[in-house]
Amino acid sequence: MLSAGVAVAASSVPLPTWTPEDKEAVKKGQLVPGLSLLTEESMADPLPKAVAEPPKPEEIAQSATPTPVVGDQYLDAYFGERPQHFLVDPQGLLSTKDARDRENFLNYHSSDSAIDLFVYLFDAHQEIPSEVREEEIVERHFSSGKPAVVVYYYLGAPERSNIYVSPLISDSVSAAEQRRALASSVEEAMEKPDKVAQFEAFCVQVAIRIYWMERATGLVTDEDPATPQLRPLAKAPKKEKEKSALVVKAEAIAAEWGPMAGIMGGALTIVGAGLSLARRRTRYRFPVFEVPPRMGGAHAAGIGAVISFGSTTQSPSSQRNEVPDYLGL
Amino acid sequence: MKCPRCVQVIHRGANLCPHCGFGIGEVDQRYGHDDVVLRRLGDVAGLIRAKDRPKVSAALDKFCKRFPQLFFAVYTGSGQGGGNLRQFGFWLLNRAAFEDVPVDRPNEAGILLVIDADSKSAAVTWGYQLDPFLTEEDTFFCLSRAHAYWLEGRFAEGIVRMIDQLEKVLRKRAAQARRDPEKFERKVAAPPRTGEIARRIREGHKQHAAAHTVVPAESQSREVAG
Repeated sequence: MLSAGVAVAASSVPLPTWTPEDKEAVKKGQLVPGLSLLTEESMADPLPKAVAEPPKPEEIAQSATPTPVVGDQYLDAYFGERPQHFLVDPQGLLSTKDARDRENFLNYHSSDSAIDLFVYLFDAHQEIPSEVREEEIVERHFSSGKPAVVVYYYLGAPERSNIYVSPLISDSVSAAEQRRALASSVEEAMEKPDKVAQFEAFCVQVAIRIYWMERATGLVTDEDPATPQLRPLAKAPKKEKEKSALVVKAEAIAAEWGPMAGIMGGALTIVGAGLSLARRRTRYRFPVFEVPPRMGGAHAAGIGAVISFGSTTQSPSSQRNEVPDYLGL
Repeated sequence: MKCPRCVQVIHRGANLCPHCGFGIGEVDQRYGHDDVVLRRLGDVAGLIRAKDRPKVSAALDKFCKRFPQLFFAVYTGSGQGGGNLRQFGFWLLNRAAFEDVPVDRPNEAGILLVIDADSKSAAVTWGYQLDPFLTEEDTFFCLSRAHAYWLEGRFAEGIVRMIDQLEKVLRKRAAQARRDPEKFERKVAAPPRTGEIARRIREGHKQHAAAHTVVPAESQSREVAG
């Protein structure tokens, strides 16, 4: 086996051999052994480049991968009957949690709106089979019952979405209005980074546009209490003026001593009222002394002041009568 | 204490005015000897309007409640006293029998306000019981309070105002008398007799002379001890 291996090796690539010229060149420094291994220049002969011709347009059209079509096994689930849920996703494109969140939102919308919102969910690159006509499906399933808006949404490609309305409201909601609603919803969705968030934003915006569709169709009037009403804003509390330091100090003192002062004030008021009442009820008595009668008067001889009120220009003191009238008696 | 005629100060217990000889007999001759039946509010001159009479009566009642021993009476007349309201008030308070005053409040405890419409004058007289507690100045002060009302002919309001002021004065006097009754008792105590005064003077002289005669005796005893 060893000889066989040596024979194979000898036959495949010959080992390099030294020549006397190489020996002289090494001595002169003109040749460095192994130099070729340290340089990037390949010593081998370059491979011949393959010459490829540019593809023709026909070849490109034929070589493009065909868009996947929704499988036949899902067609009945999609289009067999009026969907039982507002979110139609038989392929399970959304996770369980996301599907539940969107279903909850659509249920909430249905409970709050006169127009239901049904969303058929497809993958971004999926195509609805050509034998399925969306308008016909909507007419067939949504002609009766509660009016509905049907959206075909492509997860991750909101711009491919289509919108249809049930025949009950198609007369009131024009095609242009439908396109505007779809366009605004797509715009909202495109602002989101991921496809789940896009789908959420899309549903919310469609629900908002349905609110205006309700009014356009006359299903809901402004007087309807079920519709959201603009309520007057609660009066915002007036912005308090900046209090001066004196006021703040007074308030602090009032907070600290207010209850005490109130109690004291109340107590003083009660005491004052009590004193006033007691004073009103007080009876004044005088000690009785033995007074000898004068000038024959049995009961009285106390002579007080005499005052005249005949002149309005003179004071009471000047009209005090202290002069005896001998001549008159 | 003054004489209602000569307005001179007289001593306590004088039967007649020592200055002019005035006594009740003189006014009795002029106004009558018999008692006069009156009510506390005697508006003979008709100075108080009918609608104001309740206010005055209420003020009189309040005065009687505040001072259970006293009463206040008002008498208005025309030409009463012949120009001398002091003598007329003196006579009226001694001869009046107030039929709406309880018997436990004699005229000695009464205060009488007399208003003469003709002379446009008012005077106050009080009984003996109030002698220690009222002065002429007190009554003038009270009359001054009513003066402005009476100038305008608002007699009822003036009377009420005067009664209020008199109540204040008497409340103050009552409080003072409760604290120091002797002070007021001295004002009306019977005057000492003339002989008594002479005896006290002589006793004072004797005590003074004895004090001077003791001093030499003491000095003598010190000399003996030395």
